[in-house]
Parts: sequence; C-alpha cells; structure tokens
Amino acid sequence: MSDKLKDIISKQGEQQNVAIDHSDDIVQLVGFVIGEEEYAVPILSIQEIIKPISWTRVPQTPAYVLGVFNLRGSVIPLIDLRIKFGLSTKKHNEETRFFVLKQGDEVAGFVIDRLTMALRIKKDDIGPAPDTMAGDDSMIDGVGKQDDRILTILKVNKLLERDF
Amino acid sequence: MDEFQEILQDFLVESFELVEKLDEDLVELENNPEDLELLNGIFRVAHTVKGASSFLNFDVLTHLTHHMEDVLNKARHGELVITPDIMDVILESIDLMKTLLNIIRDTSSDAGVDVSACVARLDKVSSGKEDIQTPMEEEIVEETAIEEEEEEPDYDSMDADEIEAEIERLLQERQEEDKAKRAAKIAAGESVPEAPPAPSEEPEPTPESAPASTPAPVTPTPTPAKQETPKADAKAAAPAKKAPAVVEQTIRVDVKRLDHLMNLIGELVLAKNRLIKINDDVEERYEGEEFLEELNQVVSIVSLVTTDLQIAVMKTRMLPIGKVFNKFPRMIRDLTRELDKKIELEISGEDTELDKSIVEEIGDPLVHIIRNSCDHGIEMPNVREASGKDETGIIGLKAYNEGNHIVIQIDDDGKGLDVDMLKNKSLEKGIITEKEADSMSDKEAFGLIFKPGFSTAASVTNVSGRGVGMDVVKTNIEKLNGIIDIESEIGKGTSLKLKIPLTLAIIQALLVGVQEEHYAIPLASVLETVRISKDEIYTVENRSVMRLREEVLSLVHIGDIFEVERILDVSEHAYVVVLGLGASKLGLIVDSLVGQEEIVIKSLGDYLAGIEGIAGATIRGDGGVTLIVDVAALMHMAKGVKATAMIESSTENASHEKTKPSDYTVMIVDDSKTDRMIMRKSLEALGVTLVEASDGQEALSILKQGEHSFDAMLIDIEMPRMDGYTLAGEIKKYNRYKNLPLIAVTSRTGKSDRMRGVESGMIEYITKPYSADYLSSVVQRNINFKSEFL
Repeated sequence: MSDKLKDIISKQGEQQNVAIDHSDDIVQLVGFVIGEEEYAVPILSIQEIIKPISWTRVPQTPAYVLGVFNLRGSVIPLIDLRIKFGLSTKKHNEETRFFVLKQGDEVAGFVIDRLTMALRIKKDDIGPAPDTMAGDDSMIDGVGKQDDRILTILKVNKLLERDF
Repeated sequence: MDEFQEILQDFLVESFELVEKLDEDLVELENNPEDLELLNGIFRVAHTVKGASSFLNFDVLTHLTHHMEDVLNKARHGELVITPDIMDVILESIDLMKTLLNIIRDTSSDAGVDVSACVARLDKVSSGKEDIQTPMEEEIVEETAIEEEEEEPDYDSMDADEIEAEIERLLQERQEEDKAKRAAKIAAGESVPEAPPAPSEEPEPTPESAPASTPAPVTPTPTPAKQETPKADAKAAAPAKKAPAVVEQTIRVDVKRLDHLMNLIGELVLAKNRLIKINDDVEERYEGEEFLEELNQVVSIVSLVTTDLQIAVMKTRMLPIGKVFNKFPRMIRDLTRELDKKIELEISGEDTELDKSIVEEIGDPLVHIIRNSCDHGIEMPNVREASGKDETGIIGLKAYNEGNHIVIQIDDDGKGLDVDMLKNKSLEKGIITEKEADSMSDKEAFGLIFKPGFSTAASVTNVSGRGVGMDVVKTNIEKLNGIIDIESEIGKGTSLKLKIPLTLAIIQALLVGVQEEHYAIPLASVLETVRISKDEIYTVENRSVMRLREEVLSLVHIGDIFEVERILDVSEHAYVVVLGLGASKLGLIVDSLVGQEEIVIKSLGDYLAGIEGIAGATIRGDGGVTLIVDVAALMHMAKGVKATAMIESSTENASHEKTKPSDYTVMIVDDSKTDRMIMRKSLEALGVTLVEASDGQEALSILKQGEHSFDAMLIDIEMPRMDGYTLAGEIKKYNRYKNLPLIAVTSRTGKSDRMRGVESGMIEYITKPYSADYLSSVVQRNINFKSEFL
C-alpha cells in the first residue's frame, strides 16, 4: 500500500516536474500592431493597457516623445512607436491603445495602433533577430513564429531606455 | 548579526548628534575656559562615546576617547587650563573621532586609522599628573564608578551568561546611583523625573552574541539620568510635572516614513484641488439649489483640514537650522588662526526651522559664504584699526521667517564690495565685456561674485580664491528655488540674504498660459506680473527689452523657450511675469495668467529626467499634467534666445519662402478710385497680390484682421477720416509692423511734406504723377522681389 502510494506520489511529482519544465519552454506574449507589422512584448512587462487619454507636451524632446500623462497620480512619459519606428503619424482612433510597460523603476506609456492578442509561444519557435538587426543596440529580441504569423519581439529594456 | 547592526546604528546616530553639539561647546569653552558646566558636558560626550565603543569593540576609538577623557577630566578638575594650544589638540582629536565614526558607519569597523600621534599629544598635554583625581569626590562618584567598570574586563572573553550577569550588575549599580542622586536632588527641593523604567532594558534575556545586548544599558542611561545638556533638561522637566512615568517625549522615525507620509499628503492636496474644481463646476450648473450649501461646507472643511494636515506633516520634517549653524563657530575659529585675523561669529535665530532636505542642502553654500566673508570681507586687524574699526571683525549669521520663506542673512563689517574692482576683475578674466560693464548697475556688479571663474583673491589660498565657491552657492540656492540678495557699502561691510522656500515638495505656483498650453512657475521666483501692450517692447541689440519703472528688463517669450507653435496671435496685450532668482531678473512674456495654485511637485521619471527648463510636473484639478518651469534653467536658456516673440512672428510670416509672384502682397491705400486703379495697373504686371483700402481707418482694420501678411503699403497722404501721416504713425506703433515698408504716393511735393512723411515712418516718397515703371521698380525694391519672377 505504502509502496503504491509512494509510486503515485513520485509519479505525480514527475508529472509536476514535467509540467514545470514544459512551462519553461513557453513564453507568454502580448501582440500588437504598429503600421503593418505585428510586434509583441512579454506579458509580465506590461503594467496595464489603457484607452488613450489626454497628455501634456514636453518641450526639448524628440518628436516621438509625445509628452506625459497622468496615470492615477503618477506622471508617465508617452512615446509614439509609429514615429519612433519611422512611420507617419496617424490620428488616434477607437483601436488605439496606450501600452504601459514597466521594468524595475522605469515606466513609460507607448502608443500602439491596435492590440491583437495574448499568446503563448514555444521558445523553440522564436528565432534570433536577423543578423543585420541583432546586437546590443537593437530593439529586437527575436522573431516569433506561430501558425502563419510572424511576430517581432521587442526588448522592453530598450524601449524604456532613453536614447536622446 | 542584525541585532548588532541595529545597536550600531543607534550608537552612530547618538554619537553623531553628540559630536555635533561638541564642536559648538568646545569653541565656547575656549572663550570661557572656566565654565564647568560646559566642561562637564564635553567630558560626558567623550565618555559616552568611549563607553559605547568599548562595548562594541571599537578598540581604536576607545583608545582615543579614553585619552581625550583624561585631558578633559583634568581640565574639569581645574588641573589644566585650556589654552588655545591645548584646544588645538583636543579639536584635532575630535576630528579624528569623527573620522573614526564615519569609518565605522561605512565599514562597521574602526580599523585603518592611526591615532597614536594624536594620543601621544593628548598624553603630553595631560602628562605628569596622572593620578591626582581626588578633589570634589561627590560630583564625580558616578563617573569614576563607570570608569572602573569599563576599564575592567574584556567582554569578548566572557560567555553569554557571564555577560548577562555583568549587565545585571552594572544596571543595578547604575540604578542605585541614580536613586541616590535623585534622593539628593529631591532633598534639595528639585523635581526630578522617575528613573527610566528598568524593565525596558531587562527583557532582553537571551542575547546570542555578546556585543548585541551589552551596550544597550550603558548608552541610553547617561542621558536621562543627568541634566547637563539643555536638551535633556527640557525633556526631563516637562514630564516631571505631569505623569512621572512618561519619559519619552520624542520618537525617532525613519526619514523614509516621513517621506512616504509627505507623498500621501501630496496626493491628498491634488485630490483637494480636484474637489474644489468639481465644486465650482457643480455650483455653476446647479446654481441656487439647496444641497449646494452643504457641499460647499464639506469642501471647505476638507480643504481646510488638508491644509492643516499638510502643515503638520511638513513640521515633522522640520529641523532647526541650528543644526547647520553649529559647525560654524568651529570653522571661524580655525579660519581666524589660519588667516591671522580676529573674527567673532554672532549667531541668532538658530531655532528657525526648515525642511530637512533644505537643511542638508544649505550647509555647503553657507560654508562658502562664510569662508568668503572671513577671507575677503574682514580685513587684517591692523588695517581695521587704521580705518578706525574695532580690531575684531564681526560676522553675523542670522535666520528668520518671512512669509513662506526663511531668510538666512550673513553680514560682515569688513571692507565691502568695490564695484569698480569687481568690474575690472571680471573684464580681466573675460567674464563680461566692456559694454556690459558700462551698463551694469551696482547690484548687477555685486552679482559678479557668483560667476564661475571669478575671484578677487590675488593668489589661491587654502581658504579661497579658486573662483569656485560662490558659483556653488548660486547653483545650490537656485536649486532650492532661493533668491540671493547682496547689499554692500565700501568700508562698512557686506550683507548677503538668502531667501529660501520652507519646503520643496509642495509649493505655491503661478499658472500661466501660452496658446493652449499651461505652465506652472514657482511663486517663490515670481517678483511681480505686469500687463503691457506689445508696443512697449523694444529691441536692443537683437534682444527684446522693456522699461519697468527705473530698470530695463530683458524679455523672452515662453513660447520661444518651450517651442510652442504659435497659431493664434492672441491680442495686443501680453503679460510679463517678472522672475527673480539669485541676483538676476528676467521678464517672461506669456499669453495669459491663469492663477495661483498650490501644486505638488512630481518628477518626470528617469526617462525624461534632466530636460532643460523643466523642473518637474504636477497634476491639476482636472487630472491633466502641467509642467513646472525650472526658473534657473530658463534664465540660462533665455540668453540663447535672440530677439523675441512678436517681432519674430511677424518677420517670420513675412519672410515665408516666396515661391510665386502672388505670394507678395501689397496694400494700396487711396481715397480716389482712379488713383487706386492706376496703381493697380502699374503693379498688375508683376503678378503680386493687391489689396485696396479707401482710407487710413480701413487700411488699419485690414492690417489688424491679419488675413494677409503685407510686404509693402502704398499710401496716399490726403485722405478723409485718417490721413497718410496718421496711418503711418499708427502702423509703426505695432511692433510686428516696425519693418513694413511704407511708401507715400502723393501730389504734395513740398520739402516739409517729405519731412513729415519720413517722421511718420514712410521710407519712400513718390510724387504724382509718376510712370508705371517707376512705381513698379520702387515696389520691387522694397519687397525684395525676386528677379526670376520677372
């Protein structure tokens, strides 16, 4: 009896281990669209996603820094990824969202054109960034493939890094 | 080990506090070597530090303080007279003690400092008379008792139980002594508080490591038991009247907690502002409804309480400025010996309280100012005598409240600032140009001492002369949103006033508008606001200026600094916010004044940190974010902005790239339709856009509408309602039309008529009749018509 129990327990343990191992191979991302491309960031780096609210322009900043906005009492910078990625500006519409990303103490809001979905993707399905764009300076962490979609996974720390 | 750290922290906090007080006392002592009270106090500090450090196993520190104690003890018993030389040794040893404490704070050990030299000197001072500690038995019973105890054992080698017993024994002894002492005092008719309840120390029964528990009983006990320092006096006297059991009147609170509290209050103030705004809106909408009154009351109570709460919390963060002032007597003493001058420091208002963060920032500037006063201000004793002054120079250090500000005033009765000398020196060093020097007021010249690189000292001394110090003063004070004011009279002395806001986190601000944007300017830097019409703005050397009473104030448009797109040119009037910071002034042109509001400063975060001209942001009642202007940076940026504002906007419009002939616009003003037709015919060939007006009034209103931007005007002189001269005069009143070419077209040919034309601002004078080609060529010349369009 007790041997059986042990067996079962050890099996369960194995299963759990497997499950844990399994989840290690999966990355959870949130996908969004800017221009024509679909991008993604790790779900844990997202503090929240909100509908556009008004912001205040900050002088002496590059064009892609739209300004700052008030998120429940905190003053947070707002960055337009369209301009940052060299696309033309577009009027905010029903689908526009502010992505509030957080890493450590750094927080910033990013304007995106449209949210797609949260997705789980296997690590094996993530390829490195193209050679021409790889390296420490690149904002691209890797390229994820799922079904027939291709996602550009962005480095959150690069997005939150001030580069002016 | 954590427990040890905790005790160590307590030890350090207490020691630093004691040492700070010590400096002041020692200098005082030099002046009154007989003051037994002072000596006792100083001795006690050395003693307390020694006791605690020996328990914490800081051997070097113990060694040093032990020898200090020896010397002080002798002095206390009158066996040693404190001479300046002895004082030097004592001060040196105290410095060493501070260094040691710093090292302990950083590394938790006191290794690495050699105290033997200093100890040797201390020994020399007290040498020869080692064991004559008999007189005045009664008073020193206590100390000797402790000394014995402390010199006794090496606690490391005991095990926990032994130490426990030792503590117990020490405690007991101490309590008995205290009791005896109290009994004696009560007998003498004094009211004395109860002993600090022993149980508070006893329930630490199982210390794991020896040093963890041992210092606790010794360090705190001396303070409540004895009453020498005034602080202890105050603390002890108060509770004695009420419940004798309560001894603790103060709590040490981690600054972080206070900061957190302050942040919360900040949120509350924002919410309050918002509530007030909503209340206003509601009032407007439901005017006359009954519930409004109730709402009003609630809102006012909330806002009242919030304000009170804010003040209360602010007060918890306040420290007396005496904390900073304390180190100056010592500094002056050292400087007088170094410089061979005689200087006395008179301190007053040291109880004035300031926010902790400001107290921390203000120390450095004051050091520089006082060093400067000693070195450059106060003359050598013989010079002073020769000029009929007292040999001893006096430096006054004074703090007092003035509204929402605290003023720190540093006066000296030295030689004063010599305006010409300041100017010459600055010219020499290339800080200012000759022109600037000539147009400089005395006040501005005094301000030169704050310029980086400026120094009047002939050579760099230990004390000053590198031309850095006063620059530091200015930067630091400006960082605190403070204002510096200098007054000086040659031969009489100099007075420097630092005006600093009481707190940094929540400030009063003036909200201004430019186009659609709002900015908050710290009210502390706003001297006044004036409404001007745009033609009061003059351009001097490519900079905009205005006359403000007796002064010429340079102006800059806020839109030019913050790159605001100017879409609508609002009105003929502008508001000038006169900013004052340090010793400099600047007029900031804004479109509108929104009002005064209490704002909470929030940082823009790392991503946007260090943006020039922006000090931070605040959240307004409507939930929007408003940027706070960094006045110091703005003044700096203003120097880079050339001719401002309104002039620029008009010339900019005019100089818009002309790509085709019809981009040029010319106005024809003539009452005769025929004349207008002739002019039109003459110019039509050019292809320029033509606008017609039948008299001066009409022309002026077309200009004001601003629909067209004109490149030139052809004006007839003889017209009904408003003639050509008057029209020209009116047009020239507008700054933006100052450069608009006005061409008179008239049949008046007299010389006096031409003169009048020139006086009123016409630049060309065409007499009728004229040929079409001539008119065309004059117009082409005046509008800079591009030849390729021909």
